[in-house]
Amino acid sequence: MLKINDLQTAIDGKEILKGITLQVNSGEIHAIMGPNGSGKSTLASVLAGNESYQVTSGTVEFDGKDLLQMAPEERAREGLFLAFQYPVEIPGVSNSTFLKTALEEIHAHKGLPPLSAKEFLKRLKEKQELVDLKTSLVNRSVNEGFSGGEKKRNEILQMAMLDPKLAILDETDSGLDIDALRTVASGVNKLRTENNAFLVITHYQRLLEYIIPDFVHILYDGKIIRSGSKELALELEEKGYDWIREVRPEV
Amino acid sequence: MERGVYNNFYNYLIDNFEREHLPERHLESPALLAKRASAFQFFNLKGLPSSRYEEWKFTNLNRLLKQEFTFQPENEPYHTLPEEIPDLNAFKIVLINGKLAPEISDVLPEGASFLGSTALDDPDYAEKIGSITADPENPMLALNTAFFKHFYVLHIRTKVVIEKPIHIAHVITGNNSAAFIPYRMLVLAEELSETTVVETFNSYTNHPALISYVNEQKLHPSAVFDSYVVNALNEDIYLVHQREVVQHANSVFNNINISAGNAALTRNELNCRLADSGTETNLLGTYITTDRQHVDNHTLADHQAPNCHSSELYKGIMMDRSHAVFNGKVYVHPEAQKTNAFQQNNNVLLSEQAVINSKPQLEIFADDVKCSHGSTVGQLNDEAVFYLKSRGIGEESAKRLLVEAFVSDVHSRIRIPALKDYVYELLRLKLQSESLITA
Repeated sequence: MLKINDLQTAIDGKEILKGITLQVNSGEIHAIMGPNGSGKSTLASVLAGNESYQVTSGTVEFDGKDLLQMAPEERAREGLFLAFQYPVEIPGVSNSTFLKTALEEIHAHKGLPPLSAKEFLKRLKEKQELVDLKTSLVNRSVNEGFSGGEKKRNEILQMAMLDPKLAILDETDSGLDIDALRTVASGVNKLRTENNAFLVITHYQRLLEYIIPDFVHILYDGKIIRSGSKELALELEEKGYDWIREVRPEV
Repeated sequence: MERGVYNNFYNYLIDNFEREHLPERHLESPALLAKRASAFQFFNLKGLPSSRYEEWKFTNLNRLLKQEFTFQPENEPYHTLPEEIPDLNAFKIVLINGKLAPEISDVLPEGASFLGSTALDDPDYAEKIGSITADPENPMLALNTAFFKHFYVLHIRTKVVIEKPIHIAHVITGNNSAAFIPYRMLVLAEELSETTVVETFNSYTNHPALISYVNEQKLHPSAVFDSYVVNALNEDIYLVHQREVVQHANSVFNNINISAGNAALTRNELNCRLADSGTETNLLGTYITTDRQHVDNHTLADHQAPNCHSSELYKGIMMDRSHAVFNGKVYVHPEAQKTNAFQQNNNVLLSEQAVINSKPQLEIFADDVKCSHGSTVGQLNDEAVFYLKSRGIGEESAKRLLVEAFVSDVHSRIRIPALKDYVYELLRLKLQSESLITA
């Protein structure tokens, strides 16, 4: 589904990703772990199409198409979703108008008939129960005045509504208490199918107790320096990031 | 030499006054004719205001008023006019080129009256002309006083509550060449009356027109007056609109002014004199400009008495090569203690070539007051645009959503649902242009 080959990026001339190669297939959950500043969020931003990052080398294929050639909105319409680490507050745009507009444009892109108001509301109600988000919040402006946890749950609500093929969760666990973490994780697990995939970016192993990854990759200084099964996360948690430096003294 | 503009249009007016205008007005009272003569003299001397006038610094009439506007014959037939706001349940009054069209206008309910030029025969009304205006040194006002062809009075009697809004539809249509259309209105809202007035400006014409419209409003003690002005004029129309309001004790004046059409020039002057204590004044406005439009909003909250509250919020979106001006003056007299005065003007520029001149102007001569003002100019938040796009929303829709959101704190305060829908539709039309993307 997603094939990243030797991806290198820079921002303001500074090299951040130094050659990432990664393949994600349908039905898989991949976790990317790494210390602060290793390039985790950059990878997420570049995949979503944030133009502040410059791709200097490499390719990304998404369902056989050249992802890097697509505008951010096309990527979303093709089924890519990024749950932001810091979701933006947008005063004056209601959550439901926002989601309705997004779904309309995605449906139009896929040549599907638009959802009726009734279908939309039904789906919204169903999905908001999934992430346990109050209706009063759903009717408010996008993220405006939301707590950190509410913002993250709102990201998962959007993900559930848009039903992407590939969802990238960028430190969705940061700032969440244990209950919110469980809610978010159970939302993700319920949305998991044979046909979609998740890329879970996290600093801590904690989230991976609830969302069990098929593969864990350690990102360090712009490179994936180690890949393995879910046990790698435990090992990393136990030994700390210093361990990587010992294992790979050249970085 | 005076600082005016003395162009062909000016020369036409100077020549027209004695030769055609005065003879046509010979039935008017000597008092009114004297007012006209003195206003004419002033205009004759000052000319059209040039940008050397402080109040016209950013609105250059020399450049904007290039057409050779003339008075047009009034008997032009008109075809069926479109209904601007089909679902608006209101008493409707239609003014075509400034002239009342009685056959398509409603009669107002008991306790309210809308009078045509016959009102001039009543000295009670006629003597109020020019008495509410705070600024006698204004050439454009003098121009109107000298030349207005029609005069209307909207009179709401004591304790009368008009349940439905009164919709005054200003329509420009049927002229054969560039038209000059000066007319005037007087609004009297007596004690404890409650009224909502919606004024819309629309045009259906291929010829330019310059509208000079002055509206003087007197709100008696405890009167409540809700007023909406929606400008949906098309490209070739030039609107110079002056509204002078005097508020007496405990009266409430709410005004929402929306410029969402394509008029080449709009100058809204809204001057509120808070003459007695306990008044409330809420001035809201939006302006959404494209192409080479010029929209200028001048407002004044003149706090003359203690314990008055004024609050003001104007928001603008400028695209293409358009130019907007906001000048908000708050004047607090020494005796106006316990004044509350708030003012805010926020602007978003969606193009490199668009211009906003925003000038908050506070002059405070009392020491026990709460006054604040703020003025901002910015662009749409890139992060918000990216966030919307990352959910599959295209650039144009994303920007449209954000622009609608930006003006929503004004538009959401429109209390008439049909009017709110109409304004929303006007906004949508404005935002359909390519201006959003080429920014």
